[in-house]
Amino acid sequence: MSTHAQASATLPRRPTHRVRTALILAALIAFSVATCLPAIGGVEIDLESITRNWRNGASKLQQLAQPNLAFLPRTLGPMLETLAMAVVGAVTAALVSIPVTLWAARPSNPHTVTRQLVRFVVNIVRSVPDLVYATILVAMIGVGTLPGVVTLILFDIGVVIKLVSEAIDSTDHPYLEAGRAAGGTQLQINRRTVLPQSWPLLTNQWLYSLELNVRISAILGIVGAGGIGRLLDERRAFYAYEDVSLIILEILIVVVLIELLSTTLRKRLR
Amino acid sequence: MTASDPITAAAGDLAPAASGAITLRDVTVTYPGGTRALRGVSLSIAPGEMVSVVGLSGSGKSTLIRTINALVPITSGRLLVGEQDVSRLSGRSLRELRGRIGMIFQGFNLAERTSVLSNVLVGRFAHSPAWRSLLGLPSAQDKQIAIEALDSVGILDRAWSRAGALSGGQKQRVAIARALSQQPSVMLADEPVASLDPPTAHSVMQDLLRINEERGLTVLVNLHLMDLARQYTTRMIGLRDGEMVFDGPAADATDQDFEAIYGRPIQGRDVLGSAP
Amino acid sequence: MSAAARPQLRPPSPAADRGAPSLPPRPSRTGPTVAAVIAGVIVVLATIELDISWTSLGEIPGRVANYLVLLFAEPNWEKLPRALFETWRSVSMAWLGAIGCVALSIPLGILAARGVGPAWVRLPLRWLFAIIRAVPEVVIALVLLTVTGLTPFTGALALGIAGIGTQGKWVYETVESVQEGASEAVRAAGGSTAEVARWALWPAAAPSLMSFALYRFEINIRTSAVLGLIGAGGIGTMLSNYTNYREWDTVGMLLIVVVVITMLIDLISGSIRRRIMEGARPRVVDRTR
Repeated sequence: MSTHAQASATLPRRPTHRVRTALILAALIAFSVATCLPAIGGVEIDLESITRNWRNGASKLQQLAQPNLAFLPRTLGPMLETLAMAVVGAVTAALVSIPVTLWAARPSNPHTVTRQLVRFVVNIVRSVPDLVYATILVAMIGVGTLPGVVTLILFDIGVVIKLVSEAIDSTDHPYLEAGRAAGGTQLQINRRTVLPQSWPLLTNQWLYSLELNVRISAILGIVGAGGIGRLLDERRAFYAYEDVSLIILEILIVVVLIELLSTTLRKRLR
Repeated sequence: MTASDPITAAAGDLAPAASGAITLRDVTVTYPGGTRALRGVSLSIAPGEMVSVVGLSGSGKSTLIRTINALVPITSGRLLVGEQDVSRLSGRSLRELRGRIGMIFQGFNLAERTSVLSNVLVGRFAHSPAWRSLLGLPSAQDKQIAIEALDSVGILDRAWSRAGALSGGQKQRVAIARALSQQPSVMLADEPVASLDPPTAHSVMQDLLRINEERGLTVLVNLHLMDLARQYTTRMIGLRDGEMVFDGPAADATDQDFEAIYGRPIQGRDVLGSAP
Repeated sequence: MSAAARPQLRPPSPAADRGAPSLPPRPSRTGPTVAAVIAGVIVVLATIELDISWTSLGEIPGRVANYLVLLFAEPNWEKLPRALFETWRSVSMAWLGAIGCVALSIPLGILAARGVGPAWVRLPLRWLFAIIRAVPEVVIALVLLTVTGLTPFTGALALGIAGIGTQGKWVYETVESVQEGASEAVRAAGGSTAEVARWALWPAAAPSLMSFALYRFEINIRTSAVLGLIGAGGIGTMLSNYTNYREWDTVGMLLIVVVVITMLIDLISGSIRRRIMEGARPRVVDRTR
């Protein structure tokens, strides 16, 4: 190509969708503005209170920065209870999740109606937040660890079944055809081939739900569902933020330890 | 093989209904999308025949082989295995029929994370009560049959290995053992050597030939390579666009016959070469 | 074909010489067995520690069924307008929290990515993310309410701050995964760090980041209800109040509203996310051409 031709060459028009972009942007801005209108239920943005009261927060942070180690002995029992809740919840949910996950995945359940039904129920279970379960269960079966454990089970099965069944859907399962060709029932094929093949997906998610359980069960006590959250709420009510700080620090350490443990386990289970 | 061999013995015990005869009468398969994969195929295969089905990909040979164990349902026509009308079977009776038809695949189709032995025990699904497979407690007899099957393809020593840890040739042998443990009267093979290197491909074809010769199984094998069809099978069926365009002794098939099946001149990739 | 022509095969009848073939010895399973026993012991100890009364456990299904009837047999729809008003408050909290969280986590996350910021910026940021991840949202809200009071604004702020931990991590992981090839090309062409960020990282990472931002909104919808339970306002506060009043038919209605709204938003947000990610694919192909 000659330099002359190059000089006269122009870019083809950039294929932007200006109108569309503008519309999307306008919709986003309108939505955001609507969320700031207290009259219709939106949030009243009160920046003034921050300038007025920031010292309160700063002093709380300061107190939080000085954990009261002398409080440690009293936290151990509730912490153990929290861990026990996390473990029992995760294990029970794991047992429940095995058949239901296979029921919710296409390769292991070719029957569309039952599969969609299971998925629909799981989606409903998943859409209720953890602490809402805890609040209602405490009202139903009384204060204690049991509503907490049930909350964790409900939360875990939602997460495990949804994520693992989707992962099973998105992988290839050539052995299904072999099992079918050998005259196996779907149940036999699932038990002897799909389940062992999906084992890493399941264990991975179980360990993850154990991690989440430790986090969640730390706060379940706030609504009376047992564990260290009860102590946390109690100390906060007494404005003993140094104690609160210690509890948070403990939760942090336990969460990190559980993460480390599950990372090592994941590597070994692969 | 001696009569003491339980696999041969059991295969001999099978009722006449389980014999390896296959009959297709004017079989047509139309897929839900409207693709016609088979158009009016009629053929009859005697028990113990070693038959190759040759054609390009998309010619319908994969469909043909899958109609025999009803993995693909036929749209019209009649299909008999032994004396059973395959299209009339469903549920338990279909699983029982499939239990007597072994199948091996191009991609081996093993559950790679489980042991070789577990994979072979898949072949016992149709022959054992479901609770045994659910609990993972195969009967001593099932286990012995699986062991014999592994032994006969020469990889018994890998029984506890993970299937995924094996080489391609070993995997296909496990797949053959899985099919053999069904104690079948018919063996279907869908492009069994297309994923293997030439020496391994030949040895797998020899395994199939041996199964055919020693156990008297009807073997139906899909191939796209003309020299393998000529060398290992006695009868050849040629498919082109879902229609049967050749049926005769494989050894007699000329290059012109293959060109007619392929619908184009013969190319280098139609031959595997390096026969042992 | 003669036997000699099949060298790979075992001789025809060695089985007769050796008797029936038998399995090789099973490899040792000590490791897995020990691990299973340890896990079992932990589970048993945890169950004992919980000290759940097994006799009362039997009564629970009946009692829960009883309550389910109270909740859902005749939901009280009279308070629906109020519930929708409070729902909008929760959605607003979630939305503003998501905006705040995304606005903070994108620059911080990019700075925390390997190959963008220097180590003395990157490591403290990553620690900050890790710490925020470990602190429950509720605790963050409890600190914030000493400044801004028990208001929805506190809820939005708590959501904005609490989300940074995870969101920031997603951002730096995304940036690290896209920058491999792309940033080298711009740097090779003589680009500065800012130019690398603008012309190499941003176009490749933007779809994922937008998708994550929407996902944050979905998460916040759930968390905003939780913050409501401790008094930040919105549907959670209403739910907590009516649970305390034991007005079960109203609680049932509120639960239905929560489930429907959450599923609806998941559905809408999920389909937008899918469109964003699908739209991203052909553009990536265009760039490599």
